[in-house]
Amino acid sequence: MLKLPQSYSDRKHFLIVGALVAIVTVALGFFLLAILPIKAQASMQAEPIKWLFQLHLWLIAFLFALVVVFMLYALFVFRRRKNDDSEGEHFEGNTALEVIWTVVPLVLVVIFSFIGLRTLQDATSGGDEVQVKAEGFQWSWAFSYPNGVTSAEMVLPVNKPALITLQARDVIHSFWVAEWGPKQDLVPGMTTSLHITPTKVGEFQLKCAELCGLSHWSMAATVRVVPEEEYTAWMDAKLAEQNLQTASR
Amino acid sequence: MRIGSLGLVRGLVGYFAGLIVGMAVVVILRLALGMSAWDQEAVWVGGLISAIIGFLLGVGAMSDWLKWTRGIETPLHHGPPAGKPAWTRYFGVDYNHKVIGIQYGVTGLFLLVVGGSFALVFRTELADTGISFLQPGTYNTFLSMHAWVALASILLGVGGIANYLVPLMIGAEDMAFPRLNAFAYWINVPAIVTLLISMLFGWDSGWTAYPPLSLLGPVGYQMVFLAIFTIGLSSILGSLNLIVTMLMMRPKGMTLFRMPILCWAILATSIIQLTATQLIGQAFLMLSFERSLGMPFFKPIYDAAGVNIGGQPILFQHLFWFYSHPAVYVFVLPGLGVISELLPVFARKPLFGYRWVALSSLAIALVGFLVWGHHMFTSGYQPYLRVVFMISTLLVAVPTGVKFFSWLGTLWGGRLIFPTPMLFTLGAISVFLIGGLSGPILATAATDLFLHDTYFVVGHFHATIFGGFVFPFFAAIYYWYPKITGRMYNETLGKLHFWLMTPGFWLMSLAQMTAGTMGMRRRIADYDPALGVQNVQLLVTIAGFVIAFSILIMIYNLFTSAEIGVLAGNNPWRSRSPEWQIPSPVPEHSYARPISIVGEPYDYGLAGSSYVAMAGAGDD
Repeated sequence: MLKLPQSYSDRKHFLIVGALVAIVTVALGFFLLAILPIKAQASMQAEPIKWLFQLHLWLIAFLFALVVVFMLYALFVFRRRKNDDSEGEHFEGNTALEVIWTVVPLVLVVIFSFIGLRTLQDATSGGDEVQVKAEGFQWSWAFSYPNGVTSAEMVLPVNKPALITLQARDVIHSFWVAEWGPKQDLVPGMTTSLHITPTKVGEFQLKCAELCGLSHWSMAATVRVVPEEEYTAWMDAKLAEQNLQTASR
Repeated sequence: MRIGSLGLVRGLVGYFAGLIVGMAVVVILRLALGMSAWDQEAVWVGGLISAIIGFLLGVGAMSDWLKWTRGIETPLHHGPPAGKPAWTRYFGVDYNHKVIGIQYGVTGLFLLVVGGSFALVFRTELADTGISFLQPGTYNTFLSMHAWVALASILLGVGGIANYLVPLMIGAEDMAFPRLNAFAYWINVPAIVTLLISMLFGWDSGWTAYPPLSLLGPVGYQMVFLAIFTIGLSSILGSLNLIVTMLMMRPKGMTLFRMPILCWAILATSIIQLTATQLIGQAFLMLSFERSLGMPFFKPIYDAAGVNIGGQPILFQHLFWFYSHPAVYVFVLPGLGVISELLPVFARKPLFGYRWVALSSLAIALVGFLVWGHHMFTSGYQPYLRVVFMISTLLVAVPTGVKFFSWLGTLWGGRLIFPTPMLFTLGAISVFLIGGLSGPILATAATDLFLHDTYFVVGHFHATIFGGFVFPFFAAIYYWYPKITGRMYNETLGKLHFWLMTPGFWLMSLAQMTAGTMGMRRRIADYDPALGVQNVQLLVTIAGFVIAFSILIMIYNLFTSAEIGVLAGNNPWRSRSPEWQIPSPVPEHSYARPISIVGEPYDYGLAGSSYVAMAGAGDD
């Protein structure tokens, strides 16, 4: 059985706690990665988000371990023994320590502000090779392309930077395809926009992420990301179909 | 004793009489002006304003002031009302801060149960996919009510802690303005009645009430606006009273840096309440005007050329969050103060870095004024604002970190004991840590663009508020219970409460965050089975019920122990704080003689030191 030192300032305490913090950080880091499987991974803008999210998880794992291991260790080692009526050690603080645990977090804040700024740029920028307008209204979506094609589903070619312009007809909505990462509100009286470069072919759900009344929960639309040839074919078919309708009217 | 002699009953009669009179006046005015008799917005708003005044007149919260205007002097009455049982003073206007503190605390606890029950209703619905018993409209109302009732409960709980403890801790006879104190409590009651009435009409925007949505729905919105405006008025008046009390009424020798640490937390909280609450009052007032009078503050209106000559929806969000973010610090700072107050007692050690802990509360309060825009990363405001608010928000981590590390320093080298209040203090640290550490991930804007309005945020703020307020509130209740009632709570039941609630809460938080990363949005009446979050949702619901059950155990404990608990004596925790040096329960006049402060508050373990000197009978 390990004999723990009794004096509160014994260096052995800090060696033991340090080792435990390291072990717990690693275990907790992998645990958090497992229980917080971030869904954003199907667009170029999702990648920096996922990267920063997982970087955060490691920092969280370390800080959680630091506080909780210290706390649990103290609770165990410094618990009052039976028939011990003495008071605790008398020390009122330590200015050097206080300065350290003010300055180190401050440095971390600067570092994360910098990382956050870079990641934000990556997650919100992109080209506009494809343009599509999404309109939100209680409680559905409508899409239109610059060539006049309108659609109830949104179709985008894979790996092409798309600029999605957003308009709300009635109340505030929010455009969110979880797999793509970022979301953006649609605000009456404004036009907002979102850059998305989809990197995975497939069918996704666009969902409204801002409570917008009775049927907010079901305000969704299908979003399809297809190979470029398929996109062109779809667009041609739509053009033909909608021109035909216009002509025969 | 007649039931009509209870202030509360007279107040409620006044409320409904006022409601009818107010509605009638609006109808008559409308008819006189040649309008149609019935316009539900105008008639209800007029009726409810009159109802709130009717309540205050009925309960007697303004009686003394009205007498003063007629030149009648009204000396402060001490003790229970003449000729009535002692318990009746809790149901009417009483100027003793200990009575008002209990009124605040019990009302807060009652609302916590009501608000929590609303959550259980929709958690039951969310336990599985598919809409089973709660239709989306009702779901939205329950969800929105859960938020405001819970927030009101926290504001009242904070009021309970502050009003009961601050005068006791600084050895004052009472608050600086006892009548204002009673008024500030009683104005909450008609507001709560109004808030609960709104449920009958429904409203569906969530507590944030963003326009234009909140300009559309049913008349329930008007009741919410009025109720929150009124509760806000209570916050402003109550905090003013607390600030004056702490600055002006401290005893000889109690410099600011010798106040019990909880007072620092309350001071920081009061500064926020006094200065930020106006903004939500203003925001809701503007919504109310826009609804009932058609003034276009927030909703865009277009002229023939398509130019917006109306309002701007995002303006509301700035006004709303300028209060509602600092409000989170209003909720958690007193709780963190309770943690700092209790740890030294149960560690038998000085609070580590008293000045740093005290100033970190002020720092959190001040930085808190500059971070509101992090709720709006996706709102469509100018993109560069995201950077400003990201940096200011990350800065909150610095003073918060100081608190955590100082708590560890306080525990280190102590002689720790673990009665229920200490367990809840430690539980609070663990839960607030989950809430705190999940903050920066929402502060860096890129990750927030994904996480915003998902269950990750739900997990984050429930952990923040439970760790920062609910756990410390329960710690405070158990800790000061013997001082309030003179008897000990039941330790076994207390520990059972803790060991059900704490793991239950950890599970709930993590499951909510998992659901969020898997793509579960907030505030939805039903969710897509394709998300694969059913198991996680079921876990959240089960954990929610476990937490609720554990709170019922506490309430049972508090009720029964008041009768059968072991007599506690003056100072069962061997605390150095002034309130523990006087009898339990605290007598009508707390301190028979003025106290003076002759040392540091937390010098546990320093032989021969003392904090409070009670003047002896012959000392004057």
